[in-house]
Amino acid sequence: MNLTSRRLLAGLLAISTATAATACSSGDEPGATNELTMMVPLFGTAPDPAGEMQKAVEKLAGKKLRITWVPNAEYGDKTNVTLASDKLPDLMVVQDQKGPSFVKAAEAGAFWDLTGKLDKYPNLKPRNEQTRLNSSVNGRTFGVYRVRPLLRSAVLLRKDWLDKLGLRPPKTTDDLYEIAKAFTEKDPDGNGKKDTYGLIIPKWPTPVFNSSNPYNAIDVWFGAPNGFGMRGGRLVPEFDTPEFFAANRYIKKMIDEGLVNRDFATLDTGKWNDPFVQGKGGIIIDVNVRATQLYGLLKEKDPDRYTDMLAMTGNLARPDGQKFSLPFTGYNGVLAISKQTIRTDAQLDEVLKVLDRLASKEGAVLLTNGIEGRNFRVEDGYAVHINEDDPAVKTMNNDVDYAFIQLGTTASVGVGGDAYAWKPASKAEQDNLRLRAELEKLDLQTAVHDPTLPYISPALTAKGATLNPIVTDARVKYLAGEITEEQLKAEIKRWYDSGGSQAVTEFQDLIAKGGN
Amino acid sequence: MSLRRPPGEYRSPGSRLFDILNVALLLGLALVTVLPLLYVLAASFATESEIASRPFFLWPRRFITSTYEYIFETGTFVRALITTICVTAAGMVIQVLLTFTMAYPLAKRYLPGRALVLNLVIFTIVFSGGLIPTYLVVRDLGLLDTYWALILPLAINPFYLIIVKSFFQELPQTLEEAARIDGCSEFGVFWRIVLPLSKPIIATFSLFYAVAIWNDYMSPLLYIDDTRKWTLQVIVRQLTGADAENALSRLDSVLFPVEGMKFAVVVIATLPILFFYPFLQKHFAKGVLIGSVKE
Amino acid sequence: MATDLAPPEVKAVPAPVRRTRMSPRTALLRYRWLYLMVLPGLAYFLVFKYLPMRGLTIAFQDFVPFLGYEGSQWVGLKHFEELFTGPDFGRLLGNTLILAALTIVFAFPAPIVVALLLNELRLGVLKRAVQSLIYIPHFLSWTIVASLTYLLFSVDYGVIAGLVHGVVGGTRVDYVAQAEWFRPVIVLQTLWKSTGWGTIIYLAALAGVNADLYEAARIDGAGRWRQFWHVTLPAIRPTIVVMAILTSGHLLDNSFEQIWLMTNSLNRSVADVFDTYVYYVGITQGGYSYATAVGLFKGVAGVLLIFGCNWLAKRLGQRGLF
Repeated sequence: MNLTSRRLLAGLLAISTATAATACSSGDEPGATNELTMMVPLFGTAPDPAGEMQKAVEKLAGKKLRITWVPNAEYGDKTNVTLASDKLPDLMVVQDQKGPSFVKAAEAGAFWDLTGKLDKYPNLKPRNEQTRLNSSVNGRTFGVYRVRPLLRSAVLLRKDWLDKLGLRPPKTTDDLYEIAKAFTEKDPDGNGKKDTYGLIIPKWPTPVFNSSNPYNAIDVWFGAPNGFGMRGGRLVPEFDTPEFFAANRYIKKMIDEGLVNRDFATLDTGKWNDPFVQGKGGIIIDVNVRATQLYGLLKEKDPDRYTDMLAMTGNLARPDGQKFSLPFTGYNGVLAISKQTIRTDAQLDEVLKVLDRLASKEGAVLLTNGIEGRNFRVEDGYAVHINEDDPAVKTMNNDVDYAFIQLGTTASVGVGGDAYAWKPASKAEQDNLRLRAELEKLDLQTAVHDPTLPYISPALTAKGATLNPIVTDARVKYLAGEITEEQLKAEIKRWYDSGGSQAVTEFQDLIAKGGN
Repeated sequence: MSLRRPPGEYRSPGSRLFDILNVALLLGLALVTVLPLLYVLAASFATESEIASRPFFLWPRRFITSTYEYIFETGTFVRALITTICVTAAGMVIQVLLTFTMAYPLAKRYLPGRALVLNLVIFTIVFSGGLIPTYLVVRDLGLLDTYWALILPLAINPFYLIIVKSFFQELPQTLEEAARIDGCSEFGVFWRIVLPLSKPIIATFSLFYAVAIWNDYMSPLLYIDDTRKWTLQVIVRQLTGADAENALSRLDSVLFPVEGMKFAVVVIATLPILFFYPFLQKHFAKGVLIGSVKE
Repeated sequence: MATDLAPPEVKAVPAPVRRTRMSPRTALLRYRWLYLMVLPGLAYFLVFKYLPMRGLTIAFQDFVPFLGYEGSQWVGLKHFEELFTGPDFGRLLGNTLILAALTIVFAFPAPIVVALLLNELRLGVLKRAVQSLIYIPHFLSWTIVASLTYLLFSVDYGVIAGLVHGVVGGTRVDYVAQAEWFRPVIVLQTLWKSTGWGTIIYLAALAGVNADLYEAARIDGAGRWRQFWHVTLPAIRPTIVVMAILTSGHLLDNSFEQIWLMTNSLNRSVADVFDTYVYYVGITQGGYSYATAVGLFKGVAGVLLIFGCNWLAKRLGQRGLF
């Protein structure tokens, strides 16, 4: 009691001093120290600041690192309070780098504009023009992007079911339909019961329309734009095209014929794998890295046969044989550099050099795999875990997988990039890894990029909460048979009327001006 | 409650019927609550594929403890558990003291200025400054990265304060009067007469406050940067991969034992605080506290 | 104050009741202990509740965290206009009010009824067992409750859905997808999760009932029902009234996480409430200002409700909040 009141009194005093302190802008020591502060998302438990991994990263960086690890789920909130608190770290991972609170802070001079500044650093120089463009904000680069595969959409199927029915992986959307039908009607698991279906579709957690879900993939395969696209010199959204309606008639047909899970409107994305692994549904349209998860789960269920249970293929051609592929953005957030603490060009250069070292081959391996000879060794071009029984190595693996990997800009989780991919246990899984790389390269040639990604439409920002769910919900209602195609068209018109037209106009102007 | 009523009035057929229905109803209620919980317990010992394949079960086919081993393997969990117990205990004492001390004078209807203070309190039930402004105050007080930041911003729940105050208003005044006449100061009356009389209420609100701190994950996330000071709920959320579905497993593909882990962590994070309840119940069972006061 | 309505023991308070107005100095001196006891709590409210209320001004700004209170642009009533004239306002208000009404009808009385039933249970062991079981769901996060709900009610494999289908027959109902089942499911979830926890406060109140009163009632020949009606119920009535008034202030608040987890494209039209909408706004526009504007609106409504209910309670002869 006494203690508390004293504390409170001390607190009241602190308030007055604090307000006084903010009144005269305190001349912070400039960032020329040998320490770099950072804010980075964390997926597991936090690494020890004096731990082996941190030491190794510091050695490579040539600086002492003070990292604030922030749980990924609350990273957005923490980013905002940090922005509000006037005490930015030297370096921070920004996940929502198109969100207004970052963009406005950057435009107000909180972060360095790195446009054109990265080219003299061999490892920071953007390697992919499309990704650079996608990660820019109205023509400006406010951070070093953390690379992810640009094309990762794939179709995953139960191989054992295909084999039993004498089918091959699909090449076209017609093939996919036939397979889904066979999976539903021809008893692919051979238990004599009609208890299986084809395609597994989950409920998408965000109401944003173009969020690269299975519906978007099918739209694009049928030739609709990815989010937005140019049609006859005019910008149109994905859903205002005949191809969109063709795609949705196709999906609806599958749903009506019972080739899709009945709970497609509610199935939790976290349970997406379950029907596949349990042998209820046989097809998933999603990112290719899901194959790793599926192999893991299938192995747990059937260790002897799991290598023969998964087939994968890339994007599908539409009925007339023409192929369009769904790309992703190619990055996941950026590393932004604070102007509050890193004040001069010389200081900036120093920080970029640190980042460049971390983005080197050596850095990518360290952040993604760990320390060679300590927790892994290289075998056939893959990384293989070693000393796994050593508790210190266990900690290291945890620190790498759930923490330090987030600092990587040239390698990505589960994919490798400049680092080594982890060697899968079986030949089938190794083949799958190789197939991913091949399909990525192949499908990239037919990728349909979203021209609006580099731009921000004020109207879409301001009215997104109203606009986003309109067509997203209408599509699902149409597919569920709750509304007709005419009503779906009416909802699209409502999207335009509620501010959609303005968003389209704004994007069109920005694209014309940007000239990218 | 051990109200020693003579059994006579319970022998009527209507009363009997009521008793039977009542027992049946409450047992049904208990069953409805406990079955899903037993599932959570069972699922925490089951394999991922079993959780995925069996819709509902009360005993896993293959009993595994690897999820629990994984959780306890990291020293962080045990440390966070100890931290949380300490913060919860200290916070609870502070909160209960502050709440009860403030509620007592506010129960005195003759106290000038009381209505003003009550209005101030009631306002905060519906209005709050929000996340960022509160953060800034905590920062300005220099509480960031201290355990105080987990306790002080939540020191008094206005809702609880009002309820405690109205409990005080229901207390018989005779004893207080007697004490006053014996020369006790108001604080003395509060400390020696009122608080001992309020044990069930104190027990109740201790539980409420303890649970609130125990379950709070937002404060540590916002106010504590030093990960060694993290509390159980933060670790829990980290281990369950609260958003593993969206970010992690989809785009960045790391296989987490998501479902089983979720359940195991619920079990572990809930059990310690559950032990608190029997102590509270003891007070309920005593029951007749005010009965001891002759009005 | 309305002394004529107050219970007898208040009238019995002798010394401090003074009809004559005291000067502030006399009062301060006379009640110094009481004031001293209010002080720490008051300081808490001023520092941790009222200082941050400066943040409410951002409802009138386009608040950008980095720019702060001073740097952000003032926009006047823009966000309120957006809120009240936006195309979604009617739907949001309607959905919120319906859920509020369901809360009043189901979620509020449930703990009272259960507490009273528990109170009538004579087997001590059973009573304790039931008590300790029904409050555990309070500790489960909404995420877990939602996954249990899907598990039990899913159209494909839900155990309860299957059971109901087996009994009722007909076409299978998708309880978690269809809009018309959204509200019943939400109410069920709320009842399951919070009823047991809610009983605690009433059990505490019941623990305070003077045993002598039962004795006296029995001597007067009151049966079980009349004892309940004339002793038990009046004993917890003040608690019920206070809880009712305080809860009214939160009627426009929904459990965001609960609703968000149960929302899908088919039921969004009935599921969208202020709290989820604010979240969507937050995703696309950072929306601190908008969220604060909504908070202010709900706050004003809450204050009106609290004081309105308080006034009503007094009119009905109850003590109310003061």
